[in-house]
Amino acid sequence: MLNLTSIFIISGRLETIKYFIFIISLIFLLGCPKKEKIPVLKGSETPTYGGSFVLDSISDPKSFNPVIAKETSTTMITDFLFEGLTQINPFTTDMEPRLARSWEYSPDGKIWTFHLRENVKWFDGRQFTADDVVFTYNDLYYNPDIPTSARDILTIDGKRIKVEKVDTYTVRFIMPKPFAPLLFALGMEIMPKHILEPMVKAKTFNSAWGVNTPPDKITGTGPFMISEYIPSQRVVLKRNPNYWRTDKTGNGLPYLDSIVILIVPDQNSSLLKFQAGETDMISIRGEDYAVIKPTEAKGNFTIYNTGPTFSTTFLFFNQNPKAIPQYKLRWFTNKKFRQAIAHSVDKETIINNVMAGLAFPQDSALTPASKFFYNPDIRKYEYNLDKAKSLLQEAGFKNKGGRLYDSEGHHVEFTLFTNSENNQRVNIGNIIKSDLDKLGIKVNFVPIQFNTMVTKLDATFDWEAIIIGLTGGVEPHNGRNVWHSSGQLHMWNPRQAKPVTTWEAEIDRLFEDGATELDKEKRKKIYHRWQEIAAEELPVIYTVTPAALYAVRNKFGGIKPTSLAGVIPYIEEVYLKK
Amino acid sequence: MIRYILHRFINMIPLLFGITFLSFGIMKLAPGDFLSQMALNPLISSETIELMRKQFGLDQPWPIQYLKWLWGIIHFDFGYSFTYRVPVATLITERVLNTLLLTSTAAILAWLLALPLGVYTALWRKSLFDQILSFFSFATISVPTFFLALLGVFFAAKTGWFPTGGAISINYAALSPFDKLCDRFHHLILPAMVLGIGGLGSLLRIVRTNFLEMMRQPFIMTAKAKGLHSNTVTWRHIFPNAINPLITLLGFEIAGLLSGAAFTEIIFAWPGLGRLILEAVMSQDLYLVMGSLFMGAILLILGNLLADILLATIDPRIKLR
Amino acid sequence: MRIELNRKESLLRQAISGLRHHRWGWIALWFILFLLLATIFAGFLSPYDPYEQNRTKSYHPPVRIHLIDEDGLHWPFIYNYYLVDPIFKRYEPDRTKKYNIGLFVKDSTYHLFGLIPCNIHLFGVDSPARVFLLGSDLHGRDILSRLLYGGRVSLSISLVGVFLSFILGLIMGGIAGYFGGWVDNFLMRFGEIIMSIPGIYLLLGLRAIFPTSLSSVEIYLLIVVVLSFIGWAGLARVIRGMVLSIKEREFVQAARAIGSGHMRIIIRHVLPNTLSYTIIALTLSVPGFIISESALSFLSLGIQEPYPSWGNMLTAAQSVRVLTTAPWILIPGLFISITIICFNFLGDGLRDALDPRFKE
Repeated sequence: MLNLTSIFIISGRLETIKYFIFIISLIFLLGCPKKEKIPVLKGSETPTYGGSFVLDSISDPKSFNPVIAKETSTTMITDFLFEGLTQINPFTTDMEPRLARSWEYSPDGKIWTFHLRENVKWFDGRQFTADDVVFTYNDLYYNPDIPTSARDILTIDGKRIKVEKVDTYTVRFIMPKPFAPLLFALGMEIMPKHILEPMVKAKTFNSAWGVNTPPDKITGTGPFMISEYIPSQRVVLKRNPNYWRTDKTGNGLPYLDSIVILIVPDQNSSLLKFQAGETDMISIRGEDYAVIKPTEAKGNFTIYNTGPTFSTTFLFFNQNPKAIPQYKLRWFTNKKFRQAIAHSVDKETIINNVMAGLAFPQDSALTPASKFFYNPDIRKYEYNLDKAKSLLQEAGFKNKGGRLYDSEGHHVEFTLFTNSENNQRVNIGNIIKSDLDKLGIKVNFVPIQFNTMVTKLDATFDWEAIIIGLTGGVEPHNGRNVWHSSGQLHMWNPRQAKPVTTWEAEIDRLFEDGATELDKEKRKKIYHRWQEIAAEELPVIYTVTPAALYAVRNKFGGIKPTSLAGVIPYIEEVYLKK
Repeated sequence: MIRYILHRFINMIPLLFGITFLSFGIMKLAPGDFLSQMALNPLISSETIELMRKQFGLDQPWPIQYLKWLWGIIHFDFGYSFTYRVPVATLITERVLNTLLLTSTAAILAWLLALPLGVYTALWRKSLFDQILSFFSFATISVPTFFLALLGVFFAAKTGWFPTGGAISINYAALSPFDKLCDRFHHLILPAMVLGIGGLGSLLRIVRTNFLEMMRQPFIMTAKAKGLHSNTVTWRHIFPNAINPLITLLGFEIAGLLSGAAFTEIIFAWPGLGRLILEAVMSQDLYLVMGSLFMGAILLILGNLLADILLATIDPRIKLR
Repeated sequence: MRIELNRKESLLRQAISGLRHHRWGWIALWFILFLLLATIFAGFLSPYDPYEQNRTKSYHPPVRIHLIDEDGLHWPFIYNYYLVDPIFKRYEPDRTKKYNIGLFVKDSTYHLFGLIPCNIHLFGVDSPARVFLLGSDLHGRDILSRLLYGGRVSLSISLVGVFLSFILGLIMGGIAGYFGGWVDNFLMRFGEIIMSIPGIYLLLGLRAIFPTSLSSVEIYLLIVVVLSFIGWAGLARVIRGMVLSIKEREFVQAARAIGSGHMRIIIRHVLPNTLSYTIIALTLSVPGFIISESALSFLSLGIQEPYPSWGNMLTAAQSVRVLTTAPWILIPGLFISITIICFNFLGDGLRDALDPRFKE
């Protein structure tokens, strides 16, 4: 009871203050009757300083060290603190300068020179220089004692890029051969040499900047810095007063005083917290749209639909000769069989029922969100069980008494796995199973633990069909590990010494060419061709990609919907409307 | 008695050894390890994963991993959490207090209500109050805790009377000491009630049943026949006998103090141990799980020991050897 | 003062006659019997196949049954509903055609007692209308049908689990308490080790070793068997605590003096005296198994889709979306709770009936 009253008192005080402000402004307005009302309205659109923006995260940050920890829950925080040389422009998907001011490259495309900004300071006031860049690449990302996935992106044909300092504000990257994804790769965080070098020397870097580090020790160049972290409850970030970016009129950014990230247990509680007014922005799942849309006006927020995401969900069959019976291998390696399955995926039902109407069908290996590299003119597989039946017939399968048999008389039957933690995948599997039943194919649909599934996929190979998802990005080269026949994520038949099929050989060539081609339009053609082959051969059968939905309170300005970075392309430009 | 306790403490060592060894082995039954999750990231090569596996010591056979862990425990080193890259001891101590606050509040709530109500309903069997309470306790037993917790959060969100989760408000640091206390209490009420109600139902039934049973015992009849005052009979003769099975339950209650609130903690975003452990179990964060398991096992053993000692002091017929 | 429970016949008669005097227990008994029958005849009682998806009828609310049309009283009929808004899942009735609810209609084939193929259902309507008495779920599957089939799975598995763990718990607890000394010490310490094993990890491990060619229901049954083999420890401790005091009583001393064998004394004289506690604990643990199955579903470790079980149906109701826009998904939850309450009332009534000390 006591606490309730005290809270009433607190809110009561606030109400009184607001009331006084209202009276005072009323007096002020009445006192100046000649003034037009417009300036007041306009004033609300001019960015002002101050205020706090409350977000949520489903999971605790695992570390504040972006070199080692790459989980979303960690990068969601570290993205505010650290910056790379380049960044993706969320509107155009081109690469744009960040800590680097500009760059140029030699005619053979092997030597790239980057000019750094001279007005960037670390949180502790030290100047950011070329030494930091050279240290970050040579002593962190390329350090064999530090386990970081960044190294894999920065390795070209097993060789590393040479990183050299030219002068205080110039660095040079020398590559064994032209490397088109370089600008993308250089988006990786630059770290402060003066703080981390002793730790690297003492070999303590791998546990440096863990979640128990005092917040003021974590030093970056980003628009915000950590002010407090309470485990399982929240992370509070405060404005970096020395941030290098300014707005059009030369005022320092960011506008906001602080960002609060509440740690919530799940999507349900995220939704409830937003509805209770405790958070200012959430990303919404399709199924929650129907819950939150009716409260849009009352809750004083706007829902933005920024279109398809990079997230994919797909079905694929085991084509690895080592682990499954020969006759099943013959079905799964048969292109017509896979095409028939693709025709039995009822994408419309998946979108309407599983994704609550807020998703897009996906046919290509890239989702439409990729924009520049996305190829819309490829073979598409509409839901058509008759077509599926005739394709199966062409492939030599026969339907007897409602059951499908192959030419040797084996009943067509396979086990379909997905990870049981993901409801959407389980539901999609349910729909696909029910359609394949109609074709006479018996599907044993078994949702299993994620780690069990990964072990099968990665080590034991004893699986027949799997539904999983991967999240892609703008840079198609990032899919190399999936699409190149030597990749360990070439899941239908991984780590091939030599491509088994001609189409896999062609995809291998395309990925090799794509990595070295610096001309944008030519690269686009290469990756378009890859998408055509993928859609014809169907090693993976895509289903749908969800729409990205965000709800943001109307009191904030600087909200710009983009397909790439949600509704906040640049956090430093967000401000509180007065 | 002292010899008995000493004996039990010495017994504890092989027991802990057995528990940890078995658990370690069972954990290794589950396929994959902490790094399996990374295998599905196209941007991480298998070489990097192997390097990390080596650094975490996960490339060695599990008995060796176990011995290394045991060696650490002897030196009060619980190892590092793979996920957080922070010593396990630091992580656990951060949250133990929060969990204890929640679970002990709930347990005290449940026991304080269950004992008098159980006795009352046993004395006034088949009264209206007894029937209402019976229905109430059956109803609470019949709803899974996680579902009750979910309804609680939903209730908080709809009415706005309680926060929808967490242990303190955003502006906690700016509050006065008194408001801080109020704020904590405000966050504690709902999860503690959900947890307490869940335990109250079954406890109430057991208290009532045991009491009823004792009331029918011949020695009670004799005592009544001798003309002893009914209050004396109730509190001197029935009560000490009726709580015999309850003492054993109390032992369980102590053992469950650390782990019993996992679902409630998860749903109410309570920053406790349960949520940490569950996440650790799901992601196979080996040493974090082992560390919390070790603490849980110690608490379980102590709880049982305490129950046995209490049993012996209350029930004179039981001899401890 | 010993409890005489010599013949099974008299035990049953005693139970039934005793239960008659316990109003709630009697009602609960009938409800549970009705439920068991309903799940046995699930195929006949449910209008549809529990796996049948109606893709344009996702999250369909329970249908309204009309008794009156423009001409007055009419045989019960329903309208067919069609989806007007896939995002908000709004349905409008098509009032041009009435669908009479038919009795003993032909629909999907099922196997009576798992053997006899049959396609007669108690009630139903003509296609394309669907008589969703309790609404439909995400895939447009009939909730009533899934509830009946799910009950079959959940109840039978719970009964197996309870039976196994109680037999073990009684025997282990009885032996430990009766013999005392090192036997007691060994069994109790062993129980402590078993109790300390992390259940979730054991489940993760077990799920992975069982072959994936088994369905999740079969795997779950195996898991329940294994869990009951380790789940006796809790009960055994309580039983042991009671046996410790029972064995010092006169009638046990007397039996010993006559020269009865130890096991005979434990089973015939000691354990029956723990009966009232055991019966309560037993009736409390049938629902316990149902509830823990739903808790495991919450962690996606229970019985998996597409198989229906009470646990996974209840888990489906745990989202805010369902609570606000499709509340009928909660009906199975309500039903499960009533069942659990009934088990509790039954246990209560049985205790009153069986234990002579409770007779007025």
